[in-house]
Amino acid sequence: MIPEQLKKTLEARVAHAFSAREAAVDVMKDLQFHYGWLTDEAVGEAAEILGLSRLQVEELATFYEMIYRRPVGNKMIHICDSISCWNAGYEKILDHLKARLGVEVGGTTADGQFTLVPCCCMGRCGDGPLISIGSTIYDNLTPELVDQALELERLSGSAAPEHQGQA
Amino acid sequence: MEQVLFRHNRPGRVVTFKEYCDEGGFNALRKAISEMTPNEVQQAVIDSGLRGRGGAGFSTGRKWSFVPRDLPGPRWLICNCDEMEPGTYKDRVLLEHNPYSLIEGVTLACYALGVRHAFIFIRRGYEKAANNLAQGLIEAKEAGLLGKRILASEFSVDIDLHLSAGRYICGEETALINALEGKRPNPRSKPPFPATKGLWGGPTVVNNVETLANVPAIIAKGPGWFKGLARNAEGAGMKLFCVSGAVKNRVCVELPTGTTLREIIDGPCGGMKPGTKFKACIPGGASTQFLTPEHLDVPMDYDTVAKVGSRLGSGAIIVFEEGCCLVAATLNLITFFARESCGWCTPCREGLPFVKEVLTRIEAGAGEERDIEILREHVKYLNYTFCALAPGAMAPLDGLLRHFEAELREHIVQRKCPFK
Amino acid sequence: MPKLIIDNLPVEVAPGTTVLEAARSVGITIPHFCYHPALALASACRLCAVKMLDGPVKGIQMSCSLPAQDGMVVSTTDPEALKMRALVIEWLMINHPHDCPVCDEGGECLLQDFTIAGGHSRRRYQGDKRTHRNQYLGEHIYHEMNRCIQCYRCVRFYQDYAGGTDFGVTGSAGRVYFGRFEDGPLESPFSGNLVDICPTGVFTDKTGRFRARYWDYQFAPSVCQHCSVGCNLAPQVFQREVIKIVGRRNDQVNSWFICDRARFDKKGINDPSRPRAPRVDGEATDYEAALDALAARIYDFVEVHGPESLAFVGSSRLSLEGCLMLGELVANFDAASLSFYGDPAEAKGSQLATELLSGENVAAPADLASADCIVLLSVDLMNEGPMLAPFIRKAWLGGTKVYRIADPALLSGQQLPFDCIEAATLAEVPLEQASRAIVVCHATRTPREELSDVAATGARLAMLQPGPNGFGAALVAREHGARPFDELLAARKVRGIVAFESDLPVANLKGITVLGCADWQATELSQKAGVFLPTTTWMESTGTSINFEGRAQRFERAFRPGYPLKGLDAKYYAQSRYGEPAPGQPKTPPPQPPRIPRGEIPGGQEIEAWKAMARLLEKLGGELIVEPLTGSWQPLRDIDPEAGGERIFSLFKSSEPDTL
Repeated sequence: MIPEQLKKTLEARVAHAFSAREAAVDVMKDLQFHYGWLTDEAVGEAAEILGLSRLQVEELATFYEMIYRRPVGNKMIHICDSISCWNAGYEKILDHLKARLGVEVGGTTADGQFTLVPCCCMGRCGDGPLISIGSTIYDNLTPELVDQALELERLSGSAAPEHQGQA
Repeated sequence: MEQVLFRHNRPGRVVTFKEYCDEGGFNALRKAISEMTPNEVQQAVIDSGLRGRGGAGFSTGRKWSFVPRDLPGPRWLICNCDEMEPGTYKDRVLLEHNPYSLIEGVTLACYALGVRHAFIFIRRGYEKAANNLAQGLIEAKEAGLLGKRILASEFSVDIDLHLSAGRYICGEETALINALEGKRPNPRSKPPFPATKGLWGGPTVVNNVETLANVPAIIAKGPGWFKGLARNAEGAGMKLFCVSGAVKNRVCVELPTGTTLREIIDGPCGGMKPGTKFKACIPGGASTQFLTPEHLDVPMDYDTVAKVGSRLGSGAIIVFEEGCCLVAATLNLITFFARESCGWCTPCREGLPFVKEVLTRIEAGAGEERDIEILREHVKYLNYTFCALAPGAMAPLDGLLRHFEAELREHIVQRKCPFK
Repeated sequence: MPKLIIDNLPVEVAPGTTVLEAARSVGITIPHFCYHPALALASACRLCAVKMLDGPVKGIQMSCSLPAQDGMVVSTTDPEALKMRALVIEWLMINHPHDCPVCDEGGECLLQDFTIAGGHSRRRYQGDKRTHRNQYLGEHIYHEMNRCIQCYRCVRFYQDYAGGTDFGVTGSAGRVYFGRFEDGPLESPFSGNLVDICPTGVFTDKTGRFRARYWDYQFAPSVCQHCSVGCNLAPQVFQREVIKIVGRRNDQVNSWFICDRARFDKKGINDPSRPRAPRVDGEATDYEAALDALAARIYDFVEVHGPESLAFVGSSRLSLEGCLMLGELVANFDAASLSFYGDPAEAKGSQLATELLSGENVAAPADLASADCIVLLSVDLMNEGPMLAPFIRKAWLGGTKVYRIADPALLSGQQLPFDCIEAATLAEVPLEQASRAIVVCHATRTPREELSDVAATGARLAMLQPGPNGFGAALVAREHGARPFDELLAARKVRGIVAFESDLPVANLKGITVLGCADWQATELSQKAGVFLPTTTWMESTGTSINFEGRAQRFERAFRPGYPLKGLDAKYYAQSRYGEPAPGQPKTPPPQPPRIPRGEIPGGQEIEAWKAMARLLEKLGGELIVEPLTGSWQPLRDIDPEAGGERIFSLFKSSEPDTL
């Protein structure tokens, strides 16, 4: 169940749109922010708010890379594997991350803190290799800097799950 | 050097609304509304020679001219800020320093096109750019430069931001329209082109950020001035080049169109990374062909780059050094495109993974002679897809086969990657 | 009219025709998967590649999405086009499983055909095949996603054409998936069409999987007898069992599709307890003896009670031939009565339709798609004429307003695949502003005055009938002065009836002798009848029925009646696929007939109802009629079952339709 206030905000967003569907991505992102990932329950709520079926929400949710239909850790770690970051040696960073976190690509750490996924591209091709943890970018990485970034993110706790839409 | 888009930039921070206005910002809008008809604005953009900076390089003014002005119902303008072409980060740099040129450019375009409502479609991960724009929209509105009855004229425009949830294909203009409508972002069949039937069925223009951000200067200083900024006769205006890869300084710079590759690398980039030698580069983002050392003096402009078999594209230059395996580089690019296929048409959805499988094997030393034929077939037949994604994906592979076939064969003959 | 050349053949087609369709018009089939004439263009599979040798466009093009233009020179056999098509097949076969031997689609699979045609036989891709999890989609359709070739036909049909919202496409790139949000039965009443429309074996008919192969089936063009729309379909029969039913194209009536009731409700026909043998006083006998007995009893009855006490009763599910023969039977007795309907409302309404409708004011189902205003007037659309709904949806998607004047008793709770504006009365609907308005109503429920109001606006009528041949029965009823059975009861004259495929409730027949009953179902009436004559179902019959718009359609016999050779599997019987056994019937189905040489099919004595009537008439002293379509009906003899049927209004030019 989402709080009444959030529901009202989302309904207002839909009302502002030219068509309800136009607000679909915003609604999914806000629900994901609330739940941490887009749960089945959230899909149902999105469907109700948007006047769509759950399947129709699913059709959209599964298309976008930043909508998660499976549980993820408190913070998403995106590692850019684009050609520029490849050229800058992202593979070394990825191996290091996998070893540090004890997960494969797509996996969530045992403590539920991080989920590691590749992504392309982050539009910071001059600063590779780089990752984002939550909404923070860490660029020009070396393995040492990765360790520092992880340390920093662990300390900053699990309060704020990543949310791209809350710009 | 004269800067157009970066003219208002402040090091390390975003220019303020006041600073932008003090430096002549929004004067173009004032001029257009008070002195020019919408048609004159369009004509100025046509005359300026401005071409689409998103990658296709089509004349911006002419694109506008395709929009029928006599159809009932609303027309739409969409600014494409779904900058997801690997290697490309110019729009982000622009908007992180200055959102106002774009806001003014969008408003001018709306004036020329008779659009009441515009959208700026922003990719995921561009929070700072989006924040700048959101702030800028509020400021412009408060200053009477946006919203109802702009500058007390009859002209009104609203601009909405749409924050995407991330997919490369959303940058394709018809996929972007579907995404904005809240449908699955598969590209649409063309014809009908968006200019006649786009967003919610209305005539729609989709322009890139850099394209629209150039419009205020064109209106303020005139099309002739803009055209004259280029270094070569065919070119027009300045171009943002964003460089990544094996150069000393990976920078995003504004240079006249027609500047050569060598000048870009040796100038603002400070040359190659110490101890490395130029082997090849991709001149315009992931979906363009490799250029080689013999192309270093090619002026970076749409037609001249096209003449040597590649494309200026988005102006994203990715530099590879001697010793870098271009089979592996191409494999990286193909992997990207295979992942980003929307899944609509067969050749893209199934053909790209096929290419990926073949390149993976070759890179791993398990390639066979016939694999080269398979790759060639794909380069040719992946052109017949529903949209431009797969043909774009084939561009680097085509370049690999054209300029570096020997390197590919070495992989097969040696049964390993010769660079490992 | 664009003129072009395809494979050296000059072709002239209507503007807007695609190259693929133009080629088809001269007998050249360009391979395709995603193209379907009834669906919006997808241009997704890229199989229909042709090479444009000359004209406004050149090189490899997709023929499905390329409008034919003057001066085009097209080659469908150019090596480059062939190579493109071969590659498309190779790409699709990268992931398609090699499970044809155990796939129910085998033999009727487009992918199979075009793989062979394209010459793809050797695998060059060395990676693994992609796999998916299947979903449970209910008891009608089996889902096998690994076979999917992503032509998007299913989702374009299900969501766009039929308006379903619980099935669609998720994921992207190589992981696109066609299914539901979660396991569960498909909600659309048109879901079964996924089986027909899928070019390969992703969706197969669960009710008939693995019973036979395509080439084993007996087929015939047939017409659905579930409601008065008269959708065209084809039963697929193997060894006297209806295994599957598939849709058959009729652009005016049902396009390419049929509803799930038409497709999956095979219960009655395959019912193991279907009465197969003629009976006299409950004792099985042969047909000749039963007819003799019935003739004798009728004779005696008339002797004792007089012909005015005798009534012949038919129904709106009787074929037109049956209705006409029933008229002949009645005519054999001076004062006997004829009745097709029990309920006077049904009789009157049905009759009214035949009086009011003409070729000008009647709307065919497909006309709804281009209507500019549609009214649903006291009609339970999804029960009484579901296949009208997709056409209405099409109009609605194009901006046509649909009004509903609902009868609270008729709200079946089924969702309509379009939005309605609720209206209290017809007066609230701006009919006069429309130029192509259509009012969808039901003959039984619409009073004459209301229809006059409609007529005054120039709107056309889609007036559904109480039975599949309601229109035909009403025409014959008019010709022979038939009366509703309830009226006959009220007059208290009738003391004995002979019923043919009638659903009269037995409770109404106190003090009335059921001398004879002919039917293919075990009705209450058949239990009560002194003489019972088994008849054939429409799938075992050749005959004619007239749908609600006065369209006479021919259905042809798909198979000879009799016990299915295989016997009906106890397993299926237990699952109630063919219904619960009738009271008093054994729990197990009839065993497979013993293998003894015989000239007749066991349980195969059924004949068409009209033939039973003809033989009865002969025994009653009449002449043997071998062709019931005579007089003004004669032109209907030549109806081509595959040509879409014929409106009957021209047959009755002399009798002008009543003015409203």
